[in-house]
Amino acid sequence: MAQQPATERLRRLLIILPWLMERGEVAVSEVAERFRIDESSLIRDLELVSLCGLPPYVDELVDVFIDEGTIFVGVPRLFTRPLTLNQVEAFELLAAGRAAMQLPGADPDGPLGRGLRKLAQGLGEDDTGVLVIQPTPETMKALSDAAKMRRRVQVLYDSHGDGEPSTREIEPHQVFSSKGRWYVNAFDSRTNEVRTFRVDRVLSSSDVGAASSQPSSAAAVDDWFADGALERVTLDIGPRGRWVTERYPVDEVSDVEENGWVRVRLAVSNDRWLERLLVRLGPHVRVVEPTRFATLGSTAARRVLERYQPSA
Amino acid sequence: MADRVERLTNLLALLLETRRPLTLIEISDELAGQYPDTAQARRAAFERDKAALREIGVEISSETFGGDRAGEMGYWVDRRAFELPELHLDDDEIRALQVALATTRPDSAIGEEALWKLGGTSGDVGGPVRMHLPELESLPALRTAVSSRHVVSFHYGGAAREVEPWGLLLREGFWYLLAHDRGRSAKRTFRVDRIEGAIAIDSTATFDRPPGIDLSAALPSDPLLIGADNAEVRNAMVRISAQFAGRVEREVGAGRVVRRESNGSIIVELPFVNEDALRSWVLGFLDAAELLEPIDVRERLVAWLGEVV
Repeated sequence: MAQQPATERLRRLLIILPWLMERGEVAVSEVAERFRIDESSLIRDLELVSLCGLPPYVDELVDVFIDEGTIFVGVPRLFTRPLTLNQVEAFELLAAGRAAMQLPGADPDGPLGRGLRKLAQGLGEDDTGVLVIQPTPETMKALSDAAKMRRRVQVLYDSHGDGEPSTREIEPHQVFSSKGRWYVNAFDSRTNEVRTFRVDRVLSSSDVGAASSQPSSAAAVDDWFADGALERVTLDIGPRGRWVTERYPVDEVSDVEENGWVRVRLAVSNDRWLERLLVRLGPHVRVVEPTRFATLGSTAARRVLERYQPSA
Repeated sequence: MADRVERLTNLLALLLETRRPLTLIEISDELAGQYPDTAQARRAAFERDKAALREIGVEISSETFGGDRAGEMGYWVDRRAFELPELHLDDDEIRALQVALATTRPDSAIGEEALWKLGGTSGDVGGPVRMHLPELESLPALRTAVSSRHVVSFHYGGAAREVEPWGLLLREGFWYLLAHDRGRSAKRTFRVDRIEGAIAIDSTATFDRPPGIDLSAALPSDPLLIGADNAEVRNAMVRISAQFAGRVEREVGAGRVVRRESNGSIIVELPFVNEDALRSWVLGFLDAAELLEPIDVRERLVAWLGEVV
């Protein structure tokens, strides 16, 4: 087996040793499982540090021995406290905590709020400088509760965002955010499929009973739009339309031979959506393919224009 | 040769235990036989070990001696900077941090190690809610600069900037840096993912953050109001057809509805700075909305459509 680099092994030891010292006696298997390390590497490294020492200056650094699958720690001397959090770890905890405080039901005086305050105080840092704002739609709590409790809900869903909602029954599996927006993966009893719905378009939700579907292993949140079943469109987009690549998940972006124009391929959730996108981009977009979308934007723009120039 | 982990452990222990700075000669005497004998090889091996410890997160302090040892360097590790301070976290608080990480960063190795240090574990505690946090390499360093009030330099929009970072804000899926731009003597907001190239942090230059900075107000929550600082706020009148009237009223608030028409349409009054954002919002409704005022913006919207048809 290839040996891990020395820095990696020492870093792991500096995490494991203080934990062991607090306990005094722990099964090798428990430590290996908790710190995701194989037992033989763990034993080898613990035996190695137990041999470390600089007599007579520092005699026995770490008083550890292993017998019959159990680790025994003698008098704790060095390495009794973990290494302090580095800036990357501190940010990870803080950002995760601040973000989770935005979820429905989070309480500044609850365990998370208190934990975050203690963390900032203990590290002697002023962390008032990090803020996360992610508003959650009204129905977010009902949908995440349904996912947690495995319930079926009846929802009023405005699928095209066109103000013509329909009623359907869904069984939420996972609620997730992407690019600042909330979505719910749910089994849709009308189509017998797991589909992705926008939470802000779920206008109301009411419990109608126990769920019957099994959530599959959670898909990676970032890949959800990589759904091959959705139709694709290829667009050339000018510099003033570049926001599209930030707002929507895109399969591909490449430069085209023109000042700042890019070629973008992205999923089309439905024709209405693409129509709106094309009108909003106006002269800063050209449809490359498929041809059936070639005149979608101009037809829609003409319809809108009639509203402004009724006589024309 | 002895396992390198052994030498690194001994070196770390020695530098933690010493009551005075130690020279490299003293260090290699203490670690008898573990460093090469020739001065040049010894120095090279020691520098590699220092770099290895730094990589783990151990900072080695050093000072230059004076007097009869003038010019020699002494080394030690400051125990207070090395050890995690006692945080007095209760079990439920550690668990809450664990759930927060599982919800926002389900596969983070960094978060897992941080939890280990706090005495917790990671594990499958996320539940069915996942909140995606955009990850950017520069964020941890920027946060440290915000927290310790260090001046930061980077390139943005093709120009070099030197800024006093006031805060980091995540909104609508993007991280923003709110800062005082020294070159422009003005408050500026930067999208962190648009910062070009590396960020330089000057830990010798500090600044005072003005009291009462409200990060949440740094970016207007209404996209129509995002625009150049100090730009003029104008009012738009938009007629919304009945099918969207309810949704728009919920979105902008009943207080913005200035007229209700018999066919169910409403007219809303909206303050805006950013004309592009206003046009985009109105056109998002296609023919179910009409921009009535300001008249100049309406004319440009009509011209915009005219270019397409």
